[in-house]
Amino acid sequence: MARGSLSPTLAEGGARESRPGLRVRGLTKSFSGTVALSDFDLDIEPGEVHALVGENGSGKSTVIKILAGYHRPDPGGEVEIDGLPLPFGSAQAAHEMGARFVHQDLGLVLQLSVVDNLYLGSGFACRFGTIREADTRRQATALLRRVGVQVDPRTPVAALSLAQRTGVAVARALEGEDDHQVKLLVLDEPTATLPENEVHQLLDMVRRVAAHGVAVLYVSHRLDEIFQVADNVTVLRDGHLVTTVPVSSLDRRRLITLLVGDELGELPTPEPRGTNGVVPSLSVRDLRGPQVRGVTFDAGPGEIIGFAGITGSGRESLLGTVFGALPRLAGIVETSGRPLPPYDPRAAIAAGLAYLPPDRKVSGAMMDLSARENLSISGLRQFWRGLLLRRGAERAEARQWFERLGVRPTGATEQPLANFSGGNQQKVLFAKWLRLHPKVFMLDEPTQGVDVGAKGELHRQLLAAASGGSTILISSSDLEELVALCHRVLVLRTGRVVAELHRSSVTTANISHACLGEQEVVSL
Amino acid sequence: MSSRVTVSKINFGFNSFSGLYLLALFVIVFGIWTPHLFLTAATVQSVASQQAVTAMLAIAVLIPLTAGAYDLSVGATINLSTIVCVWLQTVQGWSMWPAIAVTIATSVVIGVINGFVIVRLRVNSFIATLGMGSIITAVQDIVSGQSQPIPPTTTSWTNLTQLSVAGFQIIVLYLLILALIVWWALDHTPAGRYLYASGGNPEAARLAGVNVGRYTWYSMIASATVCGIAGVFYGSLTGPSLTFGVGLLLPAFAAVFLGSTQIKPGRFNLWGTILAIYVLAVGVKGLQLITGVQWLAEMFNGVALVGAVSFAMYRQRLAQSRALGRTDDPLPEIAEPTPIRTEDVVGLVPSRTGDGG
Repeated sequence: MARGSLSPTLAEGGARESRPGLRVRGLTKSFSGTVALSDFDLDIEPGEVHALVGENGSGKSTVIKILAGYHRPDPGGEVEIDGLPLPFGSAQAAHEMGARFVHQDLGLVLQLSVVDNLYLGSGFACRFGTIREADTRRQATALLRRVGVQVDPRTPVAALSLAQRTGVAVARALEGEDDHQVKLLVLDEPTATLPENEVHQLLDMVRRVAAHGVAVLYVSHRLDEIFQVADNVTVLRDGHLVTTVPVSSLDRRRLITLLVGDELGELPTPEPRGTNGVVPSLSVRDLRGPQVRGVTFDAGPGEIIGFAGITGSGRESLLGTVFGALPRLAGIVETSGRPLPPYDPRAAIAAGLAYLPPDRKVSGAMMDLSARENLSISGLRQFWRGLLLRRGAERAEARQWFERLGVRPTGATEQPLANFSGGNQQKVLFAKWLRLHPKVFMLDEPTQGVDVGAKGELHRQLLAAASGGSTILISSSDLEELVALCHRVLVLRTGRVVAELHRSSVTTANISHACLGEQEVVSL
Repeated sequence: MSSRVTVSKINFGFNSFSGLYLLALFVIVFGIWTPHLFLTAATVQSVASQQAVTAMLAIAVLIPLTAGAYDLSVGATINLSTIVCVWLQTVQGWSMWPAIAVTIATSVVIGVINGFVIVRLRVNSFIATLGMGSIITAVQDIVSGQSQPIPPTTTSWTNLTQLSVAGFQIIVLYLLILALIVWWALDHTPAGRYLYASGGNPEAARLAGVNVGRYTWYSMIASATVCGIAGVFYGSLTGPSLTFGVGLLLPAFAAVFLGSTQIKPGRFNLWGTILAIYVLAVGVKGLQLITGVQWLAEMFNGVALVGAVSFAMYRQRLAQSRALGRTDDPLPEIAEPTPIRTEDVVGLVPSRTGDGG
C-alpha cells in the first residue's frame, strides 16, 4: 500500500485547489491487543461529500475519534487536513486545523435561543462587556443562511424541528472568525433520530456546506441517504477498509453486500406465528410509543427473542414501552392473557415482568447505594419480618447471588455499586431481576460496556433463565450477541417489525441485511 | 438492631467516626483547660437539652433529604407550631392537650400541601418549600397579630419538657425516642429503603417498582409533623418567639450534611446527624466557656460544615478515581446508547410518575 510520503514542496507550493481536504494514510488503532482499525486510508476533496459506512464495531467511531483528537492512533499513521499534518490526541489542534464535528447528540441547550446556542462556546460579539445584540443576530442569520436554515435566531431551540436543530448544530460547527477556516465537517449519524420527512432538509444543508468547499465526512446507517447525498463511499468491515468507490457505480444491493460481506439468500418475510395452543407469556398487539409505530408479537415460555434495528428504528424504545418505563400511546400488552396497564412499572413487575434499562448510570442503578441494596430493591417484602427489615437474610441472599454470578470483589455486598467495574455492576442488576424469577425478562443492551468474561457469564444466566421457563427479550446493537442467544430475531425499521428470522436464519449477515433494508424505507 | 452493630464493628475507623474522635478531643482539651466549668454534669445536661430542639429539626430536614427532596419550610413550620400552640392556650383559653393536638394537625396539613406541590404539581422541592415557608410565616403573622403571645403558666406546660429525668430535662428523652423511631423507619423498614432508593436515582427506583412520588409525599408529611412536635416542645422549653425558626434552619441543615460524613459516610443518616449536632455543640460550649465571646457558634458551625464536607468530597473523589482505575477497558467501538428520556415524550401522555396517595 502506498504510504503517503508527503513531499514538502507539494504541501507548501502546490496549487491550493490540488490539496485534499482530508488525507488519511495507514491509520491503525488497537485497544489492549484488539485491532479496532487497521491500515485505513481515506481521501476527501474540498467540496466532496464522502460517506463512511460500516456496521457497529466496524471501526467508524474509531476513525472519527482519532480525527477529533479523542484517540491517539498506533504509530505509523498520518492524517493531513488541507495539506497540513494533524497532530494526534489533541481536540484543540483538530479544531484549529479546521476540523468540525457534529455528533448524534447535538449538544444544544434547548431552553436557549438559536443565537445563544451559536455563540455560547465561541463567545459573543461584545462592546464594553455588553453583548451587541443586533450585530450578533445579523451574524447568526448569515451563518444560518449558509446551511439553509431559515429561522429567527431569537427562537428557542426547543421550538425548532429536529432537522432545524441539526442545522443549528452544523451552523455552530461552521462558526468562526474566518470563513475559510473550516476544512472538514464530520457528521456522525445526523439523521438517526430525524423523522423521514425532515431528512431531505438535512441533506440539503449538507450539500450547501460542501458547496462552500468544505470536505464532508458523512457517517450514516441509512443507505438511501448515501445515494442521495454522497459522491464517494468508503466501506469498513471489522476494522478493515473494504473499498472506496464512487456512489454512482453502486446500487443498494451491491452496497449491502460490501457492508455485510456475504452474498445473501432470500430473506424470510415476517409471518404471523400461531400460538400452538400454548398461552403466550407475553402478547403485544399494535404497540405504539416513542419511535414505535405498531409492533405486534407473541412470546412463549422459554423463548429467547432478539430485537434488532438501526438507531431510530424503534428498537431502543420498544422494550421500555412494553414494560411501562416509557409511555404507551396505543396498543395492548398482555401477560398470560391478562392486559397490562400502560406506563406503570409496578403493575408490570407484579405481573411477572422485569426490565433492565440500557444505561446503568441514568436509569438502571443507584450508584451510591450498596450492591446489596441495589439487588434487593426489586422485592423487600421477604426480608420484612417482625417490624424489622432483616438485614442478615438480605445480605445472605446478596452473597448467594454474588457467588452464583461470580461478582468481584467477592462478598463485597456492602460496597457502593459505583465501586464495582461495569461488568460486575451489570451482574448485580441482573441478579436484582433474576431473584424474582420473572415470567418475562426484558433487557436493553444487556452487555454494553461489559468485559468479555462478564459477558459470557451474563449470557449463561439468560440461557439458564430461559430453560427455567422465563421468556427473554433482548434488544441489542450487538448482532453477535443476538445470534449467540436468540431463537428468533425480530428486525425493526421505522418503528415496525419488517423481518422475523428463525433459528437457522439468525445470522449477523441476515440481521444486518434486514436492518438496512433492501428496498426504500416506507415513509409515513 | 444486631445487624447494625456488626456493620459498626466492621468499620469503626476514622472514616466513619471522625466526629466521635473529635468529640473525645474536645472533652479532653476543654476538660484540661477549664475542668471546673466544662467537666460538670450541669454542662452536659444543658448542652443536651439546649440542642434537643435543633436536633429534632435536623431530623425533620433529614427525612425528605434521604429521598432527595429539600424541605426549607421547616424553620417556618416549627415557628408557626410554637406560636399556634401557645396562642391557643393563652389567647383562646384552650387547655394544653387539645392545643397540642390541633397544632400537630396543622403541621400535618402543611406537610400534605408541601407533598402535593412537589409530587402532583411537580414543583422543585427547593422552590416549593421556600415559597411555602414564606406563606407559613405570613399565616403566623395573621394568627399572632405580630405580637408575641404570653406563655402559658401552667406547670403541666413547663413540665412537658422540663421535668427532670436522671438530671436531664425530659426533652432529651423525647429526642432519643424520636431518633429511635426515625432510625427504625429509615434503616429498618422497606419504606426507608424506598426513600433512599428514590434519593439515589429516582428513575432507577421507579423502574424497580418503587412509588417514588408517594414516598416523597410521605417524607414531606413526616418532616412537617416532626416540626410540629418540635415546635410544641420549643414553646414549653424556651417560651414563644416570633422569629426563632429562621435561626434554626441553617444549623439543622448543617448537621444533616455534616452527619452525612459520619457513621455511614456518603449517605444522609440519623445517627450521623445527631452526632454532628452534639459535636458542634460541645465545641461551641467549650470555646464559649474559655473565651466568652458570642459570635463563636456561627463561626464554628460554618467552618466545621464547609471543612467537613470539603474533606468528604475529597475522599469521595479519591475513592472514585480508584474505582475508575478498576473499570473495564473501553471496548473498541461501542454503539452509543441513545437513552430515551422521559422529558422527550412527557407531552405525549398524561404522566403517571407522580402517582401519590
